[in-house]
Amino acid sequence: MRLLVLLWSLGPLLWQLRTSLLRPEALVAPLLEGSPWTLANYQLVLSGDPPFWRYLSNSALVGLVTTGLTLLLAVPCAYGLQKQRGPLRWGVGLGLVAAAMFPTVLLFLALLEIARSFGLANDLLALSLPYTALSLPLAVLLLRAAFADLPVELEDAARLEGLDLGQRLRHVLLPLLGPALASTGILVFLASWNEYAIALTWISRNDLLTLPIAIARIGGSSVFTIPYGAFAAATVLGSLPLLLLVLLAQRAIVSGLTRGAVKG
Amino acid sequence: MKQRATTLLLMLPALLLLAAVFLYPLLRYGWLSFHASSVLTGLVPVPNGGANWLRLLSDARFWTDAGQTLRFAVCSVALELAGGLALALLLHQPLQGRGALRALTLLPWALPTTVMALGWRWILNDPHGPLNAAIRSLGGSSYAFLSTPATTWFFVVLADVWKTLPFVALLLLAGLQTIPVDLEEALRLEGASRVQILRRLTLPLLVPYIALALLFRLAQALGVFDLILVLSGGGPAGSTESLALYAYLNAMRFLDFGYAATVMLATFLLLLALLGGGWLLLRRGGIERTPDRAT
Amino acid sequence: MNLTPAAGLELRQLCRDLGERRLLDRLDLKVAPGECLALLGPSGCGKSTTLRLVAGLDPASAGKVLLDGEDLTDRGPGERQVAMVFQSYALYPHLSVEGNLALGLKVRGVPVRERQRRIEAILDLLQLQELRLRRPAQLSGGQRQRVALARALLRQPRIVLLDEPMSNLDAQLREELRPELRRLLCGREQPVIYVTHDQQEAVGMADRIALLEGGRLQQVGSPRELYADPANRFVASFLGRPAINLLAMEPHRQLGLRPEHLRLGDDGAVAARLQRREWWGHQQLLWLDTPWGTVRVLTAPETPLPTEPRLSWQRQHELWFDPRSGERLAHGRI
Repeated sequence: MRLLVLLWSLGPLLWQLRTSLLRPEALVAPLLEGSPWTLANYQLVLSGDPPFWRYLSNSALVGLVTTGLTLLLAVPCAYGLQKQRGPLRWGVGLGLVAAAMFPTVLLFLALLEIARSFGLANDLLALSLPYTALSLPLAVLLLRAAFADLPVELEDAARLEGLDLGQRLRHVLLPLLGPALASTGILVFLASWNEYAIALTWISRNDLLTLPIAIARIGGSSVFTIPYGAFAAATVLGSLPLLLLVLLAQRAIVSGLTRGAVKG
Repeated sequence: MKQRATTLLLMLPALLLLAAVFLYPLLRYGWLSFHASSVLTGLVPVPNGGANWLRLLSDARFWTDAGQTLRFAVCSVALELAGGLALALLLHQPLQGRGALRALTLLPWALPTTVMALGWRWILNDPHGPLNAAIRSLGGSSYAFLSTPATTWFFVVLADVWKTLPFVALLLLAGLQTIPVDLEEALRLEGASRVQILRRLTLPLLVPYIALALLFRLAQALGVFDLILVLSGGGPAGSTESLALYAYLNAMRFLDFGYAATVMLATFLLLLALLGGGWLLLRRGGIERTPDRAT
Repeated sequence: MNLTPAAGLELRQLCRDLGERRLLDRLDLKVAPGECLALLGPSGCGKSTTLRLVAGLDPASAGKVLLDGEDLTDRGPGERQVAMVFQSYALYPHLSVEGNLALGLKVRGVPVRERQRRIEAILDLLQLQELRLRRPAQLSGGQRQRVALARALLRQPRIVLLDEPMSNLDAQLREELRPELRRLLCGREQPVIYVTHDQQEAVGMADRIALLEGGRLQQVGSPRELYADPANRFVASFLGRPAINLLAMEPHRQLGLRPEHLRLGDDGAVAARLQRREWWGHQQLLWLDTPWGTVRVLTAPETPLPTEPRLSWQRQHELWFDPRSGERLAHGRI
């Protein structure tokens, strides 16, 4: 059973790995025929113009800025929301759930207009603004759930000791929220790393492309001409950071998703 | 009162950004949908009354796409729920290496949709993809999977299921973990079989989670875009085109922003009606008693 | 207890409303310096609400909180110099014992040396020296309570509040800790309010008991006063174990008789038949059928039972109540 599950989830990925290590002529050879491995595809991708690591660093930059900005805005919002009572709490909560479910591709046209009129197109840092907004609903919901899980008495005790709001957040609440911050941050980073529609329309300069767009370009231009090995190599390189992230933070991701699920 | 003002102030920056990115576009589309803004007008919005909306009503492509989108969403979400439940039940067992197994099954979900869509394109490539190579080595002949509507449609659904099944499984796994073990033990003491436990205890208690997964996935599947753009481009002959893709094409390929905005708004309204209706149905079924916390 | 009008804590017509619900209704209460007052009552009676109003954690809907004549009502919880021990102890889980003690001093800008000195002193006082580097999760229930107490006393509070500080401990530990708690808290210059739902604890800890029910003060006085001279039926039945017998002997009066005040003998006013016997070692509780229903009687364990037992009691132990309002009736008052 376990093997079957692994084959289902990993099979297509392993095939990419294999493809990335084959010479072009071996790709069109009959299935599973032995042929020498090669790193030529990786060399090709890494020596392209711009080199592939450029896309990696673009995506990493946008991802990190987005994650930081999202947490910066989501933490106070989640705290404030958790303290609300009555229709406002209910209304904002429902609005956040609706926004979290909203198919973001429907937003790209208006966002593109905004980007053009403010001169934000082809600006990686500006790209993290819509990304932050798209991640905020889920982040706020997750963090609000985390705040709700903290015993009220902890904050009461801190208030009695004379800690103001900033001190309470810094010394008491945020340290206890560590795991929730980590899992929320990872989910935000993943979403930003993988976003397509907005990056596709905002970024046109070749050296500023984010990873999904760059890989799609490499692959899209080559589906019929088959330098497929290069595309596969790009896929593997682009997936490695995610693989590491998922393996290292599996527990955090699962618990983050779980909370989001239950509280949402 | 002072405290309440503070908490409101804390929420303000996030809510403003959300309003700018979610509410403004909807208002803007509402405005644009009553304007012509295309190459013909030099991309300058010119009021054209309800012409866009009239065009939408008689736009066969829009309604065909609506049907196709709905069919895609229903099929893939149904498969994901069934498969996700099975996977969740498996991952719930005390297996060796469960953590690693969970991480590895989660991997397809974590990868960019576009990247894995291109991966599938390679697998389905005619004649060099591994699937065709396998068919040939079994004595068959190559098949252009992405050039007939039926097979294209099948693989689009398959690719979506492959990517999002782990997500659904994890959601349901979270639900499974909230079911107290002693409930199952009590039922076992009464001589219930595993199937009976699943039907009489596990599934009913899982209903809120199933409903949640259903709603979330349905919303995402109805807005499907990048998977189809990359895997099939909406083809062959528009047979896999989704509403979101049609809206995108209107804007970026036909450069008809007025009509694109109309299509997007209409898609949003259809989605709202569908999900709102579904939500009300679920509520009337008594599912709003979603457990408050996973303890 | 001599109350000079200004000294100590005074609650004046204190109210707390939550939406439509009135959680606390016009509470008047005074606690002298050094006095330990127990707020007693069933859950939901308003005792924790009172505590939170005194601490400033919730705003009062009406009324005043005065300390030594000074109005605290509009001050925030951090400005009242109030210390509180929570039911869950509310220790910061990510900080060591020492860190838990230091945080409050740190944010108030107490210099390092002064901080050290005060922490050392309190660690000594509560015998927490060996535990200073442990996290709360590595402490037993009793140790956690001591740390919470240390944190409360460290800030040299003007009022000490305790919210069911023993309810998370097992019964034996509770009895052991009671004298220690009294030694540390009571008889200093601060007023102490001790919230509990356990009458034994209230009697053991407090100089006076304030009994609350439904957000209203029922009676306040020494344990002896509340026991012997209850203001109403609720007070009579809440205090005393086993609970008082309430007998509807007459249509307009209800008679309350405590099980320990009833005697069984060959002659008496009422015939009774033994139903059940609970043996407690030092005492036994008898359940008897009488014309007015079941009556509980507490006797010495080896008391022989007459063949035709009859119940008798002394006039002075009769407590009469209005059957409808539960108010105490004047007849038969001592």
